[in-house]
Amino acid sequence: MNVQIDSAQKRARGYWFVDGFTEMAAGGLFILLAAILLFSGNAPQSSFSTWFLSVAGEIAVAKLIGILAAILILWWLKDHFTYLRTGFVRGKRITVTQVLVIIRNVVLFLFLPILALLAVSLLIASAHSVLDFMPEWFPIGLGLIWAVLYLLAGEWMGLQRFRLLAIAMALTGIAVGIGQFAIGLPAFPANAQTGILQPLVLDSINRTLTSLDLLILISGVILMTSGLVTFLRYRKENPTPYVEEA
Amino acid sequence: MSGSLQNLTGLDRMIHEPARLMLMALLSSVETADFLFLLKESRLTKGNLSVQLSRLEEAGYLEMEKTFRGKIPHTEYRLTQKGKSAFNQYRKSLGSILK
Repeated sequence: MNVQIDSAQKRARGYWFVDGFTEMAAGGLFILLAAILLFSGNAPQSSFSTWFLSVAGEIAVAKLIGILAAILILWWLKDHFTYLRTGFVRGKRITVTQVLVIIRNVVLFLFLPILALLAVSLLIASAHSVLDFMPEWFPIGLGLIWAVLYLLAGEWMGLQRFRLLAIAMALTGIAVGIGQFAIGLPAFPANAQTGILQPLVLDSINRTLTSLDLLILISGVILMTSGLVTFLRYRKENPTPYVEEA
Repeated sequence: MSGSLQNLTGLDRMIHEPARLMLMALLSSVETADFLFLLKESRLTKGNLSVQLSRLEEAGYLEMEKTFRGKIPHTEYRLTQKGKSAFNQYRKSLGSILK
């Protein structure tokens, strides 16, 4: 028997994703968020802050309810389908310290740089070029960040298809960014004043939201497709529940 | 015989057997796993799997918990602290030999 310790450990770690349900649920959630962004329309100049708070609130509620619903549905599906076919596994418990470290890293390496970049571009007129290009760099950056996360997760769990997902996410982000670039950049005047309520800044923000919406929607479809293919393959390999022989 | 080669004789024979090594590796990545998961992943026969699990349990490397999922009996296995330490030690020893 040829035992590869790392490979066995990775298979056990990645067991949660063996049936494709998680990707389908994540894809569904992405599509829901994209729909909310789509139907919220463009940011109006007159009541930008009200509009922004309203959309942010809707997205936060949808995320919270969506994630809770997805977890319950996933538990039920796995209980009635997966565990009967290929067994039950309880993953390692994450300690509070580990959760805090993850949150700290996400804030430090993801949110703070983006917020700082946005703040600088909004407050300093000469830095408007960052804002000019926001509809382009934002989807490209986000797509690449997702790609890196998928690559790391795929490596940790030994899931080959996560590499393909990473490539797909990166390409989607780049395609959306290039698409926005092809449409043309909003032309900021050299003497532009600071503040987010200027029409051109609003145009940039609206186009960034369109980019984000497209990226989330396409990523959702990719995840759904990946989940469905995985599920069909899993069902083919494990057509019937395991029955203990007498 | 070099020092690292002498370590070969010190390898934990309870873990070194391939079937048990596979089971230890699988269980080291999770909190618990049931018989069916170990059966599917290890591709051992049910009889062989039962025997290997019993040996690891007798060595104090894993513990078994019998529960019910609905009306179906359900057996879960987890590595004990002793099992985790032994497995980590085994990996270190093997690594130092193969360096």
